Amino acid sequence: MHELTRRSLIKTALAGSAAITLSGCTLLPRKATGHSPQQYTGALGLPDNHFAVGAIAPDGTMLWQSPVDTRCHSGCNRPDTAQVVFFERRPGWAFYVFNSESGERLHRIEAAEGEHFVGHGVFSPDGRFLYAPANRYEPGEGIVAVYDSQRGYQRAHTFELNGIGAHQITMHPDGQTLIVGLGGILTHPDYDRIKLNLPTMKPALLMMDRLSGDVPARFQPSHHQLSTRHVDVAPDGTVYAAYQYQGPAHELRPLVARYRNGRYEEIDFGEAIHRELGNYIASIVAHPESDLVAIASPIGGTALIFNGHSGEVVGKASLPDCAGVEALVGGDFLVSSGRGKLVRMGKNKAATGVASMSVRWDHHLV
Amino acid sequence: MTRLTLTFLLASSVAVTPLMAATANNADGATVEYRKQWHSDILTGYQNLATQGQTLASQAASYCQTPSPEGFEQSKQAWLEAFLAWQQVRFVDFGPVEHRNRAWQFQFWPDPKNLVARKASYLLKEGAPITPEKISESGVAVQGFPMAEYLLYDQAFNGSDSALPADHTCKLLVEVTRHIADNGQSLANDWKGFQANYLGSDQYTDTTIRSAMAGLEILEERRLATPMGLRGNGKRSVYSADAWRSETSLAAMGASVQGLKQSFLPAFSELLAERKQPDLAEQIAQQFDEVLANFPELERPMAPLLADDSAYKLLQSLYIDITQLTSLVNDRAAVELGVVRGFNSSDGD
Repeated sequence: MHELTRRSLIKTALAGSAAITLSGCTLLPRKATGHSPQQYTGALGLPDNHFAVGAIAPDGTMLWQSPVDTRCHSGCNRPDTAQVVFFERRPGWAFYVFNSESGERLHRIEAAEGEHFVGHGVFSPDGRFLYAPANRYEPGEGIVAVYDSQRGYQRAHTFELNGIGAHQITMHPDGQTLIVGLGGILTHPDYDRIKLNLPTMKPALLMMDRLSGDVPARFQPSHHQLSTRHVDVAPDGTVYAAYQYQGPAHELRPLVARYRNGRYEEIDFGEAIHRELGNYIASIVAHPESDLVAIASPIGGTALIFNGHSGEVVGKASLPDCAGVEALVGGDFLVSSGRGKLVRMGKNKAATGVASMSVRWDHHLV
Repeated sequence: MTRLTLTFLLASSVAVTPLMAATANNADGATVEYRKQWHSDILTGYQNLATQGQTLASQAASYCQTPSPEGFEQSKQAWLEAFLAWQQVRFVDFGPVEHRNRAWQFQFWPDPKNLVARKASYLLKEGAPITPEKISESGVAVQGFPMAEYLLYDQAFNGSDSALPADHTCKLLVEVTRHIADNGQSLANDWKGFQANYLGSDQYTDTTIRSAMAGLEILEERRLATPMGLRGNGKRSVYSADAWRSETSLAAMGASVQGLKQSFLPAFSELLAERKQPDLAEQIAQQFDEVLANFPELERPMAPLLADDSAYKLLQSLYIDITQLTSLVNDRAAVELGVVRGFNSSDGD
């Protein structure tokens, strides 16, 4: 399908009801659900050791760069608007709202007292509420802080996760269920990034009702040190979680889990591939147009694509410090690296360089 | 046309194979000989730390049993010897030192909120008995060299009623130094037990090189450039350095470089030579000596060097030597070996 056709389709979908918008989501890369067609935003380290958030076109052209006070991590597009939100890296004391077309900074919202953000967030399908995982750091409690974008990003609610180390959050295609990765690692801003509870971690993948905050489902990985940080969901509702193993480097554990049809199971890529992943996955993205899922490991310098149902690896590339992943229209993925590389990857074909820049891309593209 | 060429170049650079994959493709255990050497050299460093930690704990116990000005000075000396033994192996950031945050237990730093002083004040005012369990549950700011340093060296504290050899303070010093000694002994033992896994996984070759790279970067950036005012807000401040209370920030840097030379460089040089880089190996060895030639002259307090522009030149000279060493190891050698310390891989989330 050509891009222009897609864009027309999106516009049609956006003009309709929320339900139609959602079905639009199931057909199209989520990039296209905002006003800006085919644009990818990421947190940047600049050559002068300053930091920014920047947006690129699929061909690697930098569309805008907007300076920020400190290193950011990830963010989310606000549906039906030209807004993109980015969070400061953990411990994140603020998030920024940008005009996604111009890069103009619209807001900088500070974390509530006693809380810090963890680098991620997602909007409700109507674009009104921003759900931001956060750490209430004195008691060490993971929460989802809810902000109302229609009221200048005032705090609207707080949902308890009954666990430690909330990280990435995403929205299920049902428009109602939030999917949250609970890393399980206790940290405190006074203690740098020291992991304070490695022997007693309780990571989990959570499903949360976005209106009530109820948590109807909670899944635990096969080992208590498999920090369940990153999550994504396919259009058919299959949920994926990516782990970061906190045990010794010579031990290899499963790194990806899948939840579908009421079953939570871990995917084994085989020993050779697990060695190349270095027990660490930075990003996991399910392609909205297919059953393909891409992951990237900066520790292993490896990005790969697997078939979501079979777990079969159908594409792999060595890319030092790769971390950010997003879906491209047409079925491929875009992968970014801390060395400024942007690479296009697809099923059963060689990875190709898209751009090489002097910036360093942080963990995620949105 | 230009665009096509660019794409071609990028496509080929994507295929650069990291060391881990390269060794996996070669005969099994291609780099095991280097790891044998590293294991042995690091064990020597850990055993020295265990011994010096034990001496420190014994000296603190003996001083607190029979306090005397001489005993106080001997305790400071024992602290310094043990602290420098730690500096020599501080670069190792993987394996048993990760267990229960042992590295942080030995040295909680940076400490911008002065948690060490706050925790000491809290523990001493609380009046509760200072027991090994109390130390174990009080967090990393209490458990290592900075806490012992605070009790032995902090000027304001030494002028207070709680100053050594006050009973409660003595108890704290004895238990903290005992904790350091126990950690040192456990670390040396666990490192021995780690041998089979370390030798059995080729990935630890990369990991070991990365740990040295990280150690050098922390040395250059955080331990030296930051207090020199070359980073951050641009102000010179000894409080940005570690070990400012004992005025041993610079001596500690010397010990860290010496430690890398003893425990990392031998196997690294052989690895470089085997990868047809004997000249680079020789350059790196020479640059280690260039850095170390700044010592013992620079084994002196850092604060006066920051305060005086002509004395500051000594720090600049050290800084230049260290940046050259870092550049040789972290840029040139790492690129030759395909080892990357990245924006994302070195400090993930």
